Amino acid sequence: MTSVIARHQELDDNPSMARMSMLIDLTRCIGCDACTVACKQENGTPFDVFFARVLNVEAGDYPDVMRLYIPVLCNHCEDPPCLKACPNKAIVKRQDGIVLIDQDRCRGTGACVSACPYGNIILQKSEAWYLNPDEPYERDFVKPRLASGVARKCTYCAHRVDEGLDPACVVACPTTARIFGDLDDSESRISRYIVEEGKTGRVPFKLLPEAGTQPSGMYLGPMSEQDVATLGQAAEPPVAEEVTL
Amino acid sequence: MIAVIVPAAVGDDNAGMATRFSVPGRRGSQAAPGEARVVRTTDSPNCTGACGWLATVVDDVIVDLKPAADYPCEEYNPRGCLRGMSMTHMIYGPDRVKKPLIRVGERGEGKWKEATWDEALDYIASKMIHIRDTFGPESMLLFNQVVGTGYVQKGAQVRMAALLGMSFATAYDFNGDISMGFTHTMGIDCVECETKSWGHAKTAILWSSNVFQTRIPDAQFLTRVAKQRNNCKIIVIDPRCSQTAKGADLWVPIHPGTDGLLALSMCYVVLENGWVDWEFLRTFTDLTTLVREDNGQRLRASDVGQGTDMEFMVWDESSDQLVKLPTETLLQPKEWRPAFRGARTVIIDGESVKVRPVFEIIEDHVMRDIYKPEHVASQTDVPAATIREIAQDYALSRPSSIIIGMGVNHRLHGDLTIRSILLLSALVGAHGKPGESISIYSGQHHFRLDVSSWWFPNGKRPNGVPMHYFVLGQPTATINPKIKFPKNGFKALFVSHGNPLVTEFSGPLKEAIDQLELFVTIDFSMSPTCEYSDVVLPAPTFWEKQELVGTSCHPYLQIQQAVVSPQYDSRTELWMVQELMRRVAPELFPQVDFTEEEIIDLLLANGGKETDGITFDQLVEGPVRLKVHDPEVGCDEQFLEHKPFPPRAYPFPEGAQREFLKTGRMEFYKEEPIFREIGEAIPIYKPAFEHLPPEDQRLPLSIVTPHSKWRVHSTHSNNRVLLNLNRKPVVEINPIDAMKRGIRDGDAVEIFNHNGSYKLWALLTETIKPGVLCVDHGWWDRYLGGGKYHSVHTHQKVKPTHENYYLPAVYAPGQHWKDTRVEIRKA
Repeated sequence: MTSVIARHQELDDNPSMARMSMLIDLTRCIGCDACTVACKQENGTPFDVFFARVLNVEAGDYPDVMRLYIPVLCNHCEDPPCLKACPNKAIVKRQDGIVLIDQDRCRGTGACVSACPYGNIILQKSEAWYLNPDEPYERDFVKPRLASGVARKCTYCAHRVDEGLDPACVVACPTTARIFGDLDDSESRISRYIVEEGKTGRVPFKLLPEAGTQPSGMYLGPMSEQDVATLGQAAEPPVAEEVTL
Repeated sequence: MIAVIVPAAVGDDNAGMATRFSVPGRRGSQAAPGEARVVRTTDSPNCTGACGWLATVVDDVIVDLKPAADYPCEEYNPRGCLRGMSMTHMIYGPDRVKKPLIRVGERGEGKWKEATWDEALDYIASKMIHIRDTFGPESMLLFNQVVGTGYVQKGAQVRMAALLGMSFATAYDFNGDISMGFTHTMGIDCVECETKSWGHAKTAILWSSNVFQTRIPDAQFLTRVAKQRNNCKIIVIDPRCSQTAKGADLWVPIHPGTDGLLALSMCYVVLENGWVDWEFLRTFTDLTTLVREDNGQRLRASDVGQGTDMEFMVWDESSDQLVKLPTETLLQPKEWRPAFRGARTVIIDGESVKVRPVFEIIEDHVMRDIYKPEHVASQTDVPAATIREIAQDYALSRPSSIIIGMGVNHRLHGDLTIRSILLLSALVGAHGKPGESISIYSGQHHFRLDVSSWWFPNGKRPNGVPMHYFVLGQPTATINPKIKFPKNGFKALFVSHGNPLVTEFSGPLKEAIDQLELFVTIDFSMSPTCEYSDVVLPAPTFWEKQELVGTSCHPYLQIQQAVVSPQYDSRTELWMVQELMRRVAPELFPQVDFTEEEIIDLLLANGGKETDGITFDQLVEGPVRLKVHDPEVGCDEQFLEHKPFPPRAYPFPEGAQREFLKTGRMEFYKEEPIFREIGEAIPIYKPAFEHLPPEDQRLPLSIVTPHSKWRVHSTHSNNRVLLNLNRKPVVEINPIDAMKRGIRDGDAVEIFNHNGSYKLWALLTETIKPGVLCVDHGWWDRYLGGGKYHSVHTHQKVKPTHENYYLPAVYAPGQHWKDTRVEIRKA
C-alpha cells in the first residue's frame, strides 16, 4: 500500500492548502446510526470498533427531559495531540488536513489513544468478528481492509476523498446532516453551508475547544428545541390495587 | 437479468476498484479483487423504505453497499438506513438457512435432516396431495409476509394457493396494522401521502408515530424540509420522549390509551371556536346525511320514493326540501345549502319519521362536558391550555398534517380513536393539499398497482380466511358469512417470510400448529418459526432475486435485481412454486411457467392507470414515478377530482368496498346495527382497558412495544452488526417505578401478568412516563433472559364491528396488543 505516504508526499510537493472538514447539523440529525454502520460497511471494522459513533444523550428529569444526538468521529485536529504523542512517528497530517495512522509504522503503543481527548482512537489487543470465519465476504473482503494490533481511527475516508468522493458516512446520511468539504474553498458545499446558515444566526461550534487541539470537525445547533406540556402525573391503572401474582 | 450501470475499472493498484480497497490509513487490498461490477437495486424488507442501492459485487459476493441517490426528485436522495447497509451480515450471517431441512425429532426439538430439494419438495407434495384429497384443499393455509413487498415472488405463492383452492391469510390484518378506523370512515384501510408532502406542513402532529426510528429515509422531510425551511411546528404525542420528540417543538406525554379522548376534546375546541370548514364537510363527508329516528338507518332515496337504497338524502335549506346526493361525483349544485342542524319530519310509507343530520348528532355528543379540555386534562395528563393550543395550531396554522402510529391503532378501541382523529381533520378540512393529510404508514402492504393479472389466474382467488380464526382454532359466533372456515379445519400451514412465533400470539399459535399435519416455512434466516417447522425451505434474500417493488412512502416503482445469485442452496419463491405445482397438480403447471421478467411485463401491462406506459426497460434504467399526482396527498381522486370514496383498494375490483361505505363520502355515522348495539355509531371515547378482565385491569403498569430502528419487525434480530450496537433486550422504565420495586439500571427483571412472563434487563430512563413500560418489538426469544417474548400480551379477540363485512386486508379484524397491563419485578 503506502499510498498514504505517496499521497502525503504528493501533497507536500504540491501544497494545495486544502482544509478538509466535516460539519454536522445537529438539528437535522435523527440519531439513526446510518453513519455508524456506513463507516463499518466501508472500513470493515471488527466487533466493538466504531470509527463513527452517535452519542445518545438524555438530559433532564421526567417530564423536563430531552433526547440529544451527537455524532462523533476523529476531529482531524489542526494540532493533533495523537501525532505528537506517537513515539514511532506513525501519525501524519496530510496537507489537506486529514490525519492518518500509518498502519505499517504503528507499533501499537497506545500513546495516541491516551493523547486523544475525544476517545476517537481505538487499539484492540485482540479482535472479534461477526461472521463464520470461512465466509468469503468477511474473510476475503472485510478483514483485509485493516491491520490488526495497531491503532485505528476514522480517516475521513481518505481513499474516497482522493477519488473526489465524500466519506461513506456523509453519502449514507439520510437526513444530509453531514456536510463535508474544503474550508479553504469558498465554493465548497461546507463553506457555502456555513455562510448560508450564518445568515440565520447559526454559528458552528467545536467539541472541547479548551483541549486546544483545534478540531476540523464542527457542529451546528440547536440540538433540540423541544418543550413539554403535561400535568406530570403517573399513568395510573384503571383500578389501582396492590397486586401479587 | 442484471443491469451493470457503473463499470468499475480493474487493474493497477491505483485505479478504480483497486484503489477503493487499498486505503490510506488502512492496509492495501490483499485479496486481489476479481471483476467488480456495480448494480442498482432496491430492497424490500417491509419497512416501507424501498430504498435504492448501489451494490458492488466481486466474485458473486456483495462487497459494498451505498445509497443509489438517483431518484429523479432530488429531495428523495439519499435513501437508506443502518439495516439496509448492514444487510451483508444477514446475507452471509450464521443463521442463514443454507439447505432444505426436514424435521426428524419432535416439533421444536431442533433435530433436522439436511435434504435435497427433490427430497423436500417430494415430501411436501405428497402431504399436500393427501390433505387435498382427504380434507379438501382449503385445509391448507398460506400466510406470507408482507405481500406488498413482493408482487412477483410472493405473488407466485398466492397464485399457487388460488390455483389449488388453498386458503390464504393476509398478514396485514393479523399484524394488527389494518386500521379499521380508516376503513369505517374512508372505506379503505389506510391513507398515506407521499412523504415529500410532509415538507409543506406548518403544523405536524406525530400521534404516537416515531418516524425518526421507523421511517428513517423519510424523516428528513420533517427535519430538513418542514422544520428548517418551513418553520413547521412539530408536536409529538407519546407516553415516551420518543426519538422523534428530539426533533419536536412540543412533546405531549399522554396517558396510554387516552388518545381518542384527546382527539374528541380537540374536536370540542374546534366546534366551540367555530373553526369549521363547512364547504369541506358538505362535499366530502356524510355529516349532512339524515338519520332516521325510528330505526337508526340513514334516510335513503328509496324511503321517500326518489330513487334507490344506495342513494342518500340531505335537507336543502335554500329550497326547504329533501334533495338527493349525487352518486357519481362529490360535487353538489352550488345553490344548495345542505342543513347541518335541525330535526325534520319526513313521510315514509305513510308514517311520519323524524330525521336529524349526522352533524347534529355528533355535535350533541362532542359538545358535552366530558370532552371539555378542562375535564379531559386530568384523564389524558395533557393540560387544558395545551389541548386548546394544539387544536388551534392544527385548525389555523395551515397546512397541517397528522401522522398516526401503531400505538394508537393496536388497541381494541383504536378504530374509535382513528375515527375521532379523522373527525377532527374533517371539521377543519385538513385534507387534499400538500402538507395536509392524515397518514398511517403501517407497512408495505399498500399495492401501488393492480396485481390481479399475476395473482389471480382467470380471476380465481384463494379462499380468504383471516389468521385470527386459525389462531382461535374455530370461527367466532359473529364471523362474517363470506369467510369460509374450512369444514375439516386446518391441516397444513405454509409461512413464507413470516415469524408469527415471535408475535404476541405465539402461545395460542403454537397450539394451533400442533393440530397440523404439515407446517412448512420459507425463509432465509433460521427464525424461531422455522425452528418449530416440519420443513424449512431456504429462500434468497431480496438481494438475490428479481422483483417489482412499490411502497406507500414514495411513488417510485423499482426493479429489485438479483445482485448476486441465490446464495448457498436457496431458490426463489417462484421456482419453489413451479416445482410444487409440477408435483401436486402437473396439469396446472403451465399457469406458473413464467420468468420474472415476463411476470413484471404482465404486471406493468395490467397494473392500472398508475403504471400506464411504464416499461421494464425504463425500470432497469432507474426508479420510475408512478402516474400519480405530484405530490400525492392521500385520496387524491376524492379530494382533488371529487370522485366518490372509497379509493380503490388494489387488488380488488372497483366497487368491492362500496358495501361498507354506501354514501361514497367520509362516514362518521355507521348505521349497521352492531355499531349501534355497542354504542359506536359515531366516534366516541371508550376507555382502553375496560374490556380486560378485572384482574388484568388491576395491574399497575401499561406497556408499549414500539418498533425500533434495529429491526424490521423481527428481521435483523440476529444481525450481528446491529447486535453489536444494541446488545440485549431492555425494558425502559422510569426510575420512580424502578425504585419502588428495588430495580436498578441493568438489573435482570421479569415482566409478568396472568397471560405469561419473560425476562430481560432494565434500562432506567427519564424519557418514559411513570406507570408505563416500553420494550422494543421483535426480539427473538433466544436473546431474552427467559420466557416467551410478548407472552404477556392480550389473547386473540375479534371486535364484532370488524366482522360486518369481509374484504381481505381492507375490512378484516384488527389487533389490540397495546391494551396489555403488566407488573415487573427483579428476576
